[in-house]
Amino acid sequence: MTDALSTVIIVVALLVAAYALVTTLRNRAMDAAHLIALGVLELLLVAQAVVGIVKLSGDEGPDGSVTFVGYLIGILLIPLAGAGWGLLERTRWGSAVIIVVGVAVAVMVVRLGQLWSGTGV
Amino acid sequence: MSEFERARPPGGGARADGGVRADAGARTGGASRRGTGGGPGRLLVAVYAVFALAAGARAGVQIATRFSDAPLAYALSAFAAAVYVLATVALARGGRTSFRVAVAACATELAGVLVVGSLSVADPDAFPDETVWSGFGRGYGFVPLVLPVVGLLWLRRTARSGGGPETGGGRPVGGGGE
Repeated sequence: MTDALSTVIIVVALLVAAYALVTTLRNRAMDAAHLIALGVLELLLVAQAVVGIVKLSGDEGPDGSVTFVGYLIGILLIPLAGAGWGLLERTRWGSAVIIVVGVAVAVMVVRLGQLWSGTGV
Repeated sequence: MSEFERARPPGGGARADGGVRADAGARTGGASRRGTGGGPGRLLVAVYAVFALAAGARAGVQIATRFSDAPLAYALSAFAAAVYVLATVALARGGRTSFRVAVAACATELAGVLVVGSLSVADPDAFPDETVWSGFGRGYGFVPLVLPVVGLLWLRRTARSGGGPETGGGRPVGGGGE
């Protein structure tokens, strides 16, 4: 796909995870900064989904495009779920869930890259 | 809802750094008052949810597009996904019935990952395509191997501290629901 966008998303996702790790260790619940960070991540993922689907409808793309589109769309749910959960659980464990969100998004973007280039299906 | 049930820490609610001070329940693990889905349990449920999603989506695609290639592996994928979904829901809900369901789901997972892991290492031809449990969850960073163990330990801990079957996990559950 687009390496630049993927790299940005991975970096942002890991930063979100790192920030959530800090707040978890400091025994703090999720706050506005988490929400903003998750929002930025979500916007980037929407951009990725648009770019990915546009590229797929052209000639580019992997053979197993069902899986690819599934990842592209499914990944959009993760920051939303994390935000909702962080708001429900007003303890450090709400922050901890956001660590999982960041790491999961980063892993899924790496996986998307693999699916796109056809290595490791 | 439940944040109002818990005691505020002395001088709590301070908003230094714009952060909200997590209350005392978090420091004690929150297990005693929140059941299996609260406190650290949230983290567990979150990881389970990610796996339920990953395994479910993978199984769905495998079965929809090429089931005849490796029926056993894909059926196993679907089964694994169903167990993850069950464990996620049961852990998240808490309560007596859910507690038992969660124990059963975690135990099934542990058995599954050990049996399928061993078989896939001993006889790779029987599993031509990867499942979540192949190679002891190698394709998923061995998380499928660790997760049920952590889940069972967590369930044991919540049961001990009174968040398990005895108290209904702090949440009223009719008992009939799965």
